Amino acid sequence: MSAILETVGVGRKYGDFVALEDVSLSIAEGELVSIVGPNGAGKTTLVNVLTGLLKPTAGVVRFRGEDIAGIGPVMLARRGMARAFQLVHIFPAMSVGQTIAVAVISQEWKGLSFFRDVSRDESVRARVHEVASIFGLEKKLETEARHLSQGEKKLLDIASAFALKPEVILLDEPTSGVSSADKHGIMRNVVDASKKAGVKAIILVEHDMDLVAEYSTRIVALTAGRVLADRPPKEFFGDPEIVAAIVGRMVGRLAKEA
Amino acid sequence: MRTAVGVLVLASLAALFALPSVLSAYYITLVLPAVAYAIALLGFNLLFGYTGLLSFGHALYVAVGAYGAAVLSSKLGIKSFELVLLLSGAAAVAAAIPVALLSVRYEKIFFGILTLAFGMLFHSFLFKFYDITGGDTGIRVLRPSLFGNEFKDLDKTAFLVGPFYYYCVGLLAVLGFVMWRIVHSPFGLHLVASRENRRKSEYLGVRVRFFRLIAFSISAFYCAVGGAILAINTGQADPELAYWTHSGELVFMAVLGGFANFFGPLVGAFTFIFLKSELMGITQFWRFWLGLTLIVIVVLFPRGLVGLGQDLWTRLHRQ
Amino acid sequence: MTSFFDIVLGGVFHAAVLFLVAAGLQLVFGVQKIVNLACGSFYALGAYFGISAVNWAIAAGVPPALFLPVLVLSGILLGAIGPFIEALLLTVYKRDEAFQLLLTFALVLMFQDVLRYFWGANPQQLGDIATQYGKIVVGTLQVPTYNVLVILASIAIALGIGAFLQKTNFGRILRATAENREMALALGVNVRVMYASVFTLGTMLGTVGGALVVPTAAASLDMPVELVVEAFAVVVIGGLGSMRGALVGALIVGLMRAAAISWYAELEMLAIYLVVIVVLVFRPAGLFGKAVE
Repeated sequence: MSAILETVGVGRKYGDFVALEDVSLSIAEGELVSIVGPNGAGKTTLVNVLTGLLKPTAGVVRFRGEDIAGIGPVMLARRGMARAFQLVHIFPAMSVGQTIAVAVISQEWKGLSFFRDVSRDESVRARVHEVASIFGLEKKLETEARHLSQGEKKLLDIASAFALKPEVILLDEPTSGVSSADKHGIMRNVVDASKKAGVKAIILVEHDMDLVAEYSTRIVALTAGRVLADRPPKEFFGDPEIVAAIVGRMVGRLAKEA
Repeated sequence: MRTAVGVLVLASLAALFALPSVLSAYYITLVLPAVAYAIALLGFNLLFGYTGLLSFGHALYVAVGAYGAAVLSSKLGIKSFELVLLLSGAAAVAAAIPVALLSVRYEKIFFGILTLAFGMLFHSFLFKFYDITGGDTGIRVLRPSLFGNEFKDLDKTAFLVGPFYYYCVGLLAVLGFVMWRIVHSPFGLHLVASRENRRKSEYLGVRVRFFRLIAFSISAFYCAVGGAILAINTGQADPELAYWTHSGELVFMAVLGGFANFFGPLVGAFTFIFLKSELMGITQFWRFWLGLTLIVIVVLFPRGLVGLGQDLWTRLHRQ
Repeated sequence: MTSFFDIVLGGVFHAAVLFLVAAGLQLVFGVQKIVNLACGSFYALGAYFGISAVNWAIAAGVPPALFLPVLVLSGILLGAIGPFIEALLLTVYKRDEAFQLLLTFALVLMFQDVLRYFWGANPQQLGDIATQYGKIVVGTLQVPTYNVLVILASIAIALGIGAFLQKTNFGRILRATAENREMALALGVNVRVMYASVFTLGTMLGTVGGALVVPTAAASLDMPVELVVEAFAVVVIGGLGSMRGALVGALIVGLMRAAAISWYAELEMLAIYLVVIVVLVFRPAGLFGKAVE
């Protein structure tokens, strides 16, 4: 099966500091790949390279066969990759409906219509409603984003990314700051929605090993900027050395934080 | 609520059209600049209120409109006001594009300072290059024709408070409607999104800088139209129009009326012009009282007069 | 044709005064993140008040040699308005920048009439005080002593501020607050007192600058709005918030202005603002500023 998104020998240096070195991975249709690793392992750098925000200093990054090194967020969205953030990124003064409409408009290339009333555009309205109902936000279309609960803000953030009809979606700790009861709810929602919406692959950056174990089809572990392991969940959690190297250190960190 | 707003807008327009039969010519010559500023503010607020970029140099485009009217009418002999508006507006857009290309790379205070710098650059050009711009005295502006009609039987005042006044109110209505559609269009929604969260909007495919460039150009066009009306009303285009304090007055009007609301800046323009002229009639220290008013608005009523009105409205309806 | 030496001297003198105002602007921006449009008003206020102060001094029989200290003292005394204005700005610290800028714009309008009320609409002049200080003659070069004293005073103040920021405890806390307000709060810095003192110091720099300039130039009602434009050029060229930037920026603007006035007067502000725009295009943060975006 051919890869939708792949990196070949990607490296990234900041001066003398090596943030990533020789990272090669490929993500194919139908996969949910989790990227895990302790803080400072290079996860954020890798995510920024994968989303075309950051140019790698070595190697290539391809999305659907095209080089996307450093193309920036706007072109990324136009090519079919969406990103949801670790910290909620919303438009505080805009309603849920408007927020999703922003994505629908850019996906339908309507940003340069100056004279059409957006609230009367039936195709936009229908699409906004469709996306909102996938995430259970259809009753809140008129609510301003800042008045939503924390979990709803997360959902809105993800929903607006979905409205772009992406082929690949990257979720950067989608459940951080959400109660553990809600975590699974959000993840199930996202996975179901992806299937319905025709998303071909999901990349998940996550600290919560429960979620990683339950939803991933494959896990990529990073330490010190290198790929330590790239395996399906069963093999990953079945290897005590890897678990010690990744999970152990993360648990240790969590314990320290607590 | 929406119908209430509609009724209010139509009533205000009707009132503006009816004013000349109620008020003396003196007051109409006061309403005229308010109409001009209202048009300029419509554009200014697309950039300030909707896009979130505070320009401290938009007087530049008002001045381009005024000087455009002056040069076209008294140096090139063009009489048609429609042509004057289009050409001055186009000149303002042409002046705005290079400024915008540089400025939209920044936000907040840096955007404000950069636009102020360009405004002052233009001011010193107007002021110092006497041969081209007439220096501190500026250039005279001749009376234009409206739809090809020169109204030769009317004297200057009769022309201004008569046909020209109605023309400008009509222009305000048309340009107001156009701006209303712009801010409610997909384009307008993208502008607001980029104001609310630039990064997020980029990840949703909003071409932030490009859209801001367009918003900047549209606002320059509106300011130039306002400037052309101002210049015809006074019969003169002078460099003070481009001075930074004049840019400050534009911001003042927007905040006075309330920049978060579509109609706020319009209310602000009318209130400011009348407040200023009334104060000037009462005391030579009108700047002091104007400044004090601004402080009260900024500190106590940051949502401006329209915000204040909205609060009163909701309070009345709750009881 | 003015000689090259005179142009340089005139430029440095102007730069010395500009530096004081710009340093005040930088200090306030560095700590409070407010761009104070009223800095020019403080400057003008210092100028007018300085004239009155010297006139009192003359009436009281103070010898001319002491006029310079009288001027400096009058500027420092005027700094007393600082805390009151800061108390007003306090209401908008957490608001959008538009409100902060507009509040200082309101102050510009108000001070304009305060000056008119106390000193009238006509420009005020101090008579021939500067020449009473005589000239320093070096070979064929003649230098007005007063201008040299002002330049020296400005250098002394610059060094003083530098030492104050680098060496004293208060200065270190001040810089820390400018870097990270939350951290300073967490460390128990009394931000209220800090802000009020910084603003007062900034005001004083402006009023002293204005007072020092009146023996050589008239005070007029155009002063506040015109000076803001130059002070802005200085801080933009030097970089917002940087003291070193204020120094270099003031020298660039002061020298350029002096050169333009004597060679090609049309270019005066135009040249300065061209430099501003070139700097902003190639080094948006200014020569010594921190990166923006």
